[in-house]
Amino acid sequence: MQKLQGIAVSSGVAIGEALVMDNEGFRIPRRFVARDAVDEELDRLQRAIASASDEISRHRDAVSKELGDKYSAIFEAHLQMLHDSRLQSELVEMIRQRHYSPEYAVSRTLRRYAQVVQSLESRYLAERANDIFDIEKRLLRHLLGRRREGIFHLTSPVLVLAHNLTPSEAANLDSRFVKGFVTETGGPGSHTAIVAEALGIPAVVGTGAFLTEVSGGDLVIIDGNEGLVVLQPDEETLARYRHEAEERRSLATQLEALRDLPATTVDGQQVLLMGNIEFPYEVDHCTDRGADGVGLYRTEFLYLGADTEPNEEGHFQAYSQVVRAMGDRPVTIRTFDLGADKLPNPPAPEDERNPCLGLRSIRLALRNLGMFRTQLRAILRASALGNVRVMFPLVSTLLELRQAKMILADMMEELEENGIRFNRDLPVGMMVEVPAAVMMIDHFVDEIDFLSIGTNDLIQYTLAVDRGNKEVVGLYNAADPAVVKLIHIAIQAANRKSRPINLCGQMSGNPVYTMLLLGLGLRQMSVSPGALPEIKKICRSVTIEQCEAVAKRVLTMENARDIKSYLKEELKKRAPQLA
Amino acid sequence: MSQTTVSRTVVLTNRAGLHLRAAMLIAKTVRQFAAQVSIVKSHQRVEATDMLQIISLGAECGAELGIEATGQDADQVLDALGRLFSDNFGEDQEPGN
Repeated sequence: MQKLQGIAVSSGVAIGEALVMDNEGFRIPRRFVARDAVDEELDRLQRAIASASDEISRHRDAVSKELGDKYSAIFEAHLQMLHDSRLQSELVEMIRQRHYSPEYAVSRTLRRYAQVVQSLESRYLAERANDIFDIEKRLLRHLLGRRREGIFHLTSPVLVLAHNLTPSEAANLDSRFVKGFVTETGGPGSHTAIVAEALGIPAVVGTGAFLTEVSGGDLVIIDGNEGLVVLQPDEETLARYRHEAEERRSLATQLEALRDLPATTVDGQQVLLMGNIEFPYEVDHCTDRGADGVGLYRTEFLYLGADTEPNEEGHFQAYSQVVRAMGDRPVTIRTFDLGADKLPNPPAPEDERNPCLGLRSIRLALRNLGMFRTQLRAILRASALGNVRVMFPLVSTLLELRQAKMILADMMEELEENGIRFNRDLPVGMMVEVPAAVMMIDHFVDEIDFLSIGTNDLIQYTLAVDRGNKEVVGLYNAADPAVVKLIHIAIQAANRKSRPINLCGQMSGNPVYTMLLLGLGLRQMSVSPGALPEIKKICRSVTIEQCEAVAKRVLTMENARDIKSYLKEELKKRAPQLA
Repeated sequence: MSQTTVSRTVVLTNRAGLHLRAAMLIAKTVRQFAAQVSIVKSHQRVEATDMLQIISLGAECGAELGIEATGQDADQVLDALGRLFSDNFGEDQEPGN
């Protein structure tokens, strides 16, 4: 058994077989072969060794001819290693006695050697592990031949373990079979994290290197609540996780009964509880759980994983699907919140050393008006179909907001001239996620129809912490008193002017914060669809008076740890099964 | 057939230690003889024909190794291996590969 700590980005627990993707997106397949196929599989192994040998010999001869024997010696060594009698007998034994697939046997055996070599004290010798990985890869390539497959052709449930997933790989994960994933790199803001949430599967990122220590088919536990990955768990750990999973399932069944009930507090305060979505299909996850609307429809997926920019029709189709499904319930479409690095055109700027502080989001939109206009036109057209609202991300100055609104007005005029239907009174909102916007909130509320607090970025910018940096991620905390204060200021300012204010960051989906947020005066929340039942349950278990007392107390507290443990206690009092 | 066992101690003097190519040369040399040969480093004992095992010893420059051979040509194989070690595996003392 081995435990790895990473960053939890999507909650839940998954237990299952590993599917290992190496750096080349190479998939290491299943563990066992049928008993009567053993001889055939042994043949396959010998053929693979033979063709890998041929290949190495050809390399050796070519290099030797070109550069001399000294440089071809490495290939000679690889060749000898392939024919190592001990290695061969180990592989044969695994296939014959344990019915391992040749691929699994090869990767397991060679990785074990590589691990030993990697742990050697001499750095020079330790680096020789790469030669062993090289042989592993070569053998696998010959074993898999044409059957070499990526992540896209799955036939049974797996947990995907990868160095990194590209946005298009993540977006195309087959949710019927992928039950969770772990990546060695990445942070909570990464696109893969958002996709995991969208799919409702547990995910852990940023574990650091570990892929050399697992083989496809190994039993793995992904604990997306604690950010833990357990490789080859022992019986006790397995039993504990299975029990937990069972409890969660029964809680989920209980909460299903709340589906058609409103998120109203015990003392009758109605709370608008909406879902965050990224992909159009997620609208079903919202309606299935009785969401009051879509509080955040991210639109980045339209740009990621595609080689070309989406056209107006592509936008419109994606929006109208969601708007129609929601009927008269609100759908808040956020204009693209991308970094310049994510776009095929124009090329990324040279000085983007600090993308979080760089050309992204509304800044990028205002510099690429063509792109921005295309999206706004599609949103406007969709507004004729239902209850659409538009929202601008990362607004930090009034000027930016005014510019964005002006372009929206231009688009309205254009549509009007062309006789295309849209909602003239389309509500326009902004994300509150930069501390500067909170400081200027009294001015913003006069120029906007609604607001939505994006805590993920607000926390990052307030505390100056990069969530993707393992060294400082511990400082990233929604319970930090500075963050709570900023949220309080924003809610108060909006409530004074009766401007609807929502909170759509990960904070609102965490049961620990629900009472605090209600107590601070928040009456709308938007959470990932999976969290809807739990948050609704809390709303229906508390009174506003209780929540206000909690908030009042929290506002006097000095550090995140105290606040969080206090909030956990209060939650335990009101909704013990969710604590 | 006499099954004499002979052994000798060698010291690694090549800079890179018992690396891939050195292990290959050892394995190749031993295969030319009938004797069974093992390499001993402190408490670890490995077959001299198993390259992966040899590298796994992690023997660095300066390491003291025992070589044991059993079989008719035990002496000859130890002589051949001794030459390999004293010749630094033919390396011109640049870090090998």
